[in-house]
Amino acid sequence: MNRNYIYLTLLMLILAIGTLMINKTKEPNQIEPKQLLFELIQPTRYVSTDQVAKMIIQNDPSLELIDVRNIKEFEAFSLPKAINVPLDSLISKNSLLNFGIQGTKVVFVSNDDIASDQAWILTKRLGYKSTYVMKGGLNLWMETIINPKQPEETESAAAFATYAFRQGAQLYFTGAKTEDSGAPKAKVEVQRKKKSGGASGGC
Amino acid sequence: MEINESNPWKTLIALSVFILILIVGFFTMRTPLLTYKLDMKQSIKEMKNSDAYFYPWQLNGVLSKETNNVVIFDIRNSFVYGQGHIPGAENLSAQELTKEESIERLENLKDQKFTVVLYGEDQLQANGPWMLFRQVGFDNVKVLLGGYQYYMQHKNNLLATKNDPEIQKEVAKCDFAKMAAPKDGAVVKTSEAKKPVEVSRRKKSGGASGGC
Repeated sequence: MNRNYIYLTLLMLILAIGTLMINKTKEPNQIEPKQLLFELIQPTRYVSTDQVAKMIIQNDPSLELIDVRNIKEFEAFSLPKAINVPLDSLISKNSLLNFGIQGTKVVFVSNDDIASDQAWILTKRLGYKSTYVMKGGLNLWMETIINPKQPEETESAAAFATYAFRQGAQLYFTGAKTEDSGAPKAKVEVQRKKKSGGASGGC
Repeated sequence: MEINESNPWKTLIALSVFILILIVGFFTMRTPLLTYKLDMKQSIKEMKNSDAYFYPWQLNGVLSKETNNVVIFDIRNSFVYGQGHIPGAENLSAQELTKEESIERLENLKDQKFTVVLYGEDQLQANGPWMLFRQVGFDNVKVLLGGYQYYMQHKNNLLATKNDPEIQKEVAKCDFAKMAAPKDGAVVKTSEAKKPVEVSRRKKSGGASGGC
């Protein structure tokens, strides 16, 4: 009779260890494919070039521009304060530090919007929140912000309002810049990290 | 002692019932409909796989019904689909795509070695679903380069798109640096630039003064 109990305990132990083995996935932080599918069919992740321009001009501290083009393209031209994370090295540990910082909105930028959308999906799969895609990419940026077209006379007042904004933005972005947007871009990354320590209050 | 003698059988029965329940539970366990088959690195590689794309000139074969192992799905909503679509394409809107029947259907098509082509209004619209299905192991799902708009522009001569540089996305259309540079010399621009710069925005930084 004692022996029976021993066998039973052994069986239970083996089963318990077995259950531990079952749910072993390689990358446990990922969201379910089904959920990813639900999220990616929604167009809420797109922001327009106007919105991005506005945020840059307003110096929005929550804006984090991630440029997913390659280094060469990035060095030739980039948006102010953008951080370069080429799509190939997106999921390296260093690059992932840029995402998921509380209170920031990550906006992916590329020449068009395909690569940035791909970056969005990949980071979404890893569970990062508040990431966005600049619709139209830099090609549209050039068309709308740097080289805005005057709307036809018959167009709505809203079209003229955006045009007026774009003209202002054009001067902001093409005018002589006081801040040098050339070399020290990489250092921006460091600044972001300081945020977490910012909770000093009182006297 | 009498109780002890019947006991070995009792434990054996209890044990077999227990194991039976486990086995039944194991077999009826709900497996998720979709699981990732590619890890992150493979997924990034997959996006550069030219076999994962469907080129507009390949539509010629489908339209003339020479290739009959291709199923085209229009993932726009049914209203836009009704206004016009690629001949032979079936409407399967993105909303419907998430339903179990659709996924089972895709699985059937995969088993029957059909190629599935997804397209939306532009390539971007189909990009997400295409990537996801690739990542969960549907290696027969392809995305139509350029999407519907591109097809409409070139539908009279799809073969010519073979040499169209514009079909490749993610190429800078112009020299950005040159275009964004101050055009008539920086000095002229700065005087103009003073007006629209929204200085008032800077107030923000001053807002966080706390303390006494």
